[in-house]
Amino acid sequence: MLAFFIARRLLLLVPTLLGVLLITFLISHIVPGDAAQLIAGPRATPEIIQRIRQEYGLDKPLHIQFAIYLGQVLRGDLGKSIRTRRPVGADIRAFFPATFELTTTAMLLAVLLGIPLGVISAVYRDRLPDHLSRVFSVIGVSMPIFWLGLLLLFLFYIRLGILPGPGRISGDPPAHITGLYLFDSLLTGNWRALGDAALHLVLPSFTLAFAVLARITRMTRSSMLEALAQDYVRTARAKGLHERWVVVRHGLRNALIPTLTVIGLSYGELLGGAVATELIFAWPGMTHYVVGSMTSLDFPAVMGVTLVIAIIYITVNLLVDITYALVDPRIRY
Amino acid sequence: MRRLSGVLCWVLVLGAMAWAGEDVLVMGVTAEPETLDPHVTVDNNSWRAIYYCYDRLVEYEGGTTKLRPGLAQSWEISEDGLTYTFHLRQGITFIDGTPFNAEAVRFNFERLFAIGKGPAGTFEFIKSVEVIDEYTIKFVLDAPFAPALSAFATDQGCIVSPGVMEHEVDGDWGQDWLSEHTAGTGPFYAAEWIHGMRLVLKRNEGYWGEPAKLAQVELRYVPEPEDLRMLLEKGEIDIAEKLTVDQIQSLKGVPGIRVFEAPSFQCHYIYLNCQRPYLNDVRVRRAISYAIDYQGIVDYIWQGTAVRMEGPVPIGFAEHIPVYQYPYDPERAKALLEEAGYDKGFTLRIMHSPVVPEWRQMAIVVQQNLAEIGIDVEVESYAWPTLRAKLDQGDFDMSFGYWTPDYADADMFTWFWFYSENWGLPGNRAWYKNEVMDDLVTAERVEINPEERQRLFEGIQWLAVSDAPYVYLVQAKYQLPMREWVKGYVYNPMLLNMPNFSGIYIEK
Repeated sequence: MLAFFIARRLLLLVPTLLGVLLITFLISHIVPGDAAQLIAGPRATPEIIQRIRQEYGLDKPLHIQFAIYLGQVLRGDLGKSIRTRRPVGADIRAFFPATFELTTTAMLLAVLLGIPLGVISAVYRDRLPDHLSRVFSVIGVSMPIFWLGLLLLFLFYIRLGILPGPGRISGDPPAHITGLYLFDSLLTGNWRALGDAALHLVLPSFTLAFAVLARITRMTRSSMLEALAQDYVRTARAKGLHERWVVVRHGLRNALIPTLTVIGLSYGELLGGAVATELIFAWPGMTHYVVGSMTSLDFPAVMGVTLVIAIIYITVNLLVDITYALVDPRIRY
Repeated sequence: MRRLSGVLCWVLVLGAMAWAGEDVLVMGVTAEPETLDPHVTVDNNSWRAIYYCYDRLVEYEGGTTKLRPGLAQSWEISEDGLTYTFHLRQGITFIDGTPFNAEAVRFNFERLFAIGKGPAGTFEFIKSVEVIDEYTIKFVLDAPFAPALSAFATDQGCIVSPGVMEHEVDGDWGQDWLSEHTAGTGPFYAAEWIHGMRLVLKRNEGYWGEPAKLAQVELRYVPEPEDLRMLLEKGEIDIAEKLTVDQIQSLKGVPGIRVFEAPSFQCHYIYLNCQRPYLNDVRVRRAISYAIDYQGIVDYIWQGTAVRMEGPVPIGFAEHIPVYQYPYDPERAKALLEEAGYDKGFTLRIMHSPVVPEWRQMAIVVQQNLAEIGIDVEVESYAWPTLRAKLDQGDFDMSFGYWTPDYADADMFTWFWFYSENWGLPGNRAWYKNEVMDDLVTAERVEINPEERQRLFEGIQWLAVSDAPYVYLVQAKYQLPMREWVKGYVYNPMLLNMPNFSGIYIEK
């Protein structure tokens, strides 16, 4: 049954992605402005502009342009960026690993800190640890990424000087295998690069994780409170089970479903929040690529990135749905 | 013995590292190049990266707009101004080993026109290119074109190795390959480009001229100006490009940092669309020119980092003359509006774009200034490509804009701005037409007698102020914050944002 569920979800991916592509295509073509004009520069003659329009197929009617584009995508070709003149696929392969490394670290940080904090908060309800964790999560939910990032940089880089400044690495990056620096430096045994890259990850991943971390804490706390008030928890306690066992096996396991939903949805937020984080920490990820593409009406690049992000977002949420079944035996697909 | 050689190795490595620190320059920049191909790009960020990887037939002399020999050691211009003959330097090879000669120069112009992108527009005046002998090349023009020589010194005039054709794919003239590499005769070459992170230029050890003092230049991409400021204060970067007016003010007086300042040719002005109601009346345009508080804009928005423009041709150009500057005189502006029959007032819209943060602030001042004379101004902000599209279609009343010259000739500020066939993006963004002006700007282009040409320029400047199709606002100062240990920096207003990497050195 699970296989059937996954297959159906994967099939549903097709209309979703088509919709995403169509909307992005329309938006990027409706805004006034001429990409050919931008490439050609201010002093170009009309003939030059016309030639560029032809080269990129910009002289054809909209629906034909969309059809040509779809055909390319089906063949696995995301087209050529108007701005960088490189294949969009190659550009995404160059920029995406940095974003992926950052968002994944942030997600891990948010989950590994958020769930325990929420549990502690629920267990010590209305006592000091609970108050502290609630203050922490209110700050996290309300502090803008931009401000937090600058604050952390100012404190840990400028004032204390214990963490590195903006950037992904100080020296030379490790040999390119996956583009994920932590992974690549581990694979090649490049310990200097590993330490360097890990230190550079601390501030940006915390900045990015903070809001999600706070939300996970709050969600875990409230569903834990609910779970701990259930009859089966009282029964478990009455059986004389160790309190830790009660909290983890009977409480947390049942409280995890809403938290999982939040995690799935938050991944999209992390990808969005990565824009501000990457900007502040000069992180060489997708942000500057996609921002640059937008301002130069580089629609193949904008659409390629949107497509990749949509696929990732949908995949993460599919994984979350599958995990439901693992966590809660009552859920069957 | 083995241990000793190990220690020795370490000493050497550490020594080399310490030494490397002294001749490596790190410049923090907020934007990356789009492509490294000089025949494709019209982007300042690309030019900064590649200008010193190439040479040109003629070059700017130090910090001036004068021209000196480059790859051409001498040249002759025929009396009718129609042929330019260049005598090339001998014994130079490109970084890929290809010899430099007249055939290589001819190849460049063939490639430039075959690719036919933005840079080709700079050399529109060329009719044909002929190789006379191995080291002599002749350019024939359609018509005399006074600024022709300085066009050869622009980035578009970079001479690329014919060896790029070895990397040609599907008849692309090697564009794919050259977008990531350089193939010139210049003092540097692009050694490594990690997109989104850094571009490393290394010294060309076989350079034919005086070798660069720096072994390496790293252009580090830091999109957020606030980060640039921090990195500069910490000394992790040596030069920081493009900080905001506020950030630069806060850096002044920080020990170890100096802020280089000089007048630039970057001019900001307001386009008054002469095809629109109200603005098609010269009295209204003059009234607007009288109504604006120029000194307030210079003092409070630019905080002294700009000077007021004096007519269309920037101060610092040989052709510039001190023409009339409209004083800030709301009474006179009101009288002019009354004379034009608009004493009841009317509404106009003004466009700006967040690309230049100062425009928004100036828009508010302009709104207030014009309200005083009864013109109601609606301020609209557009994304850069949208603003440009509207300019090109003439779909606006008033708009902020700026212009920097490609070559050092007042033609950049006259023919482009005022010729009625240049309506829209080509340059005449005020959609202005005056037949006398059309005659003057076309005559200036083909006039070979310098004195006669200067007289034409003077006429143009007076007429441009009198007809007031633009509000000539400010000429921004160029500011470049750097560590004090950066020496040998020479500013050339024609090479804005392109520091002279070939002459800079570091002395800690």
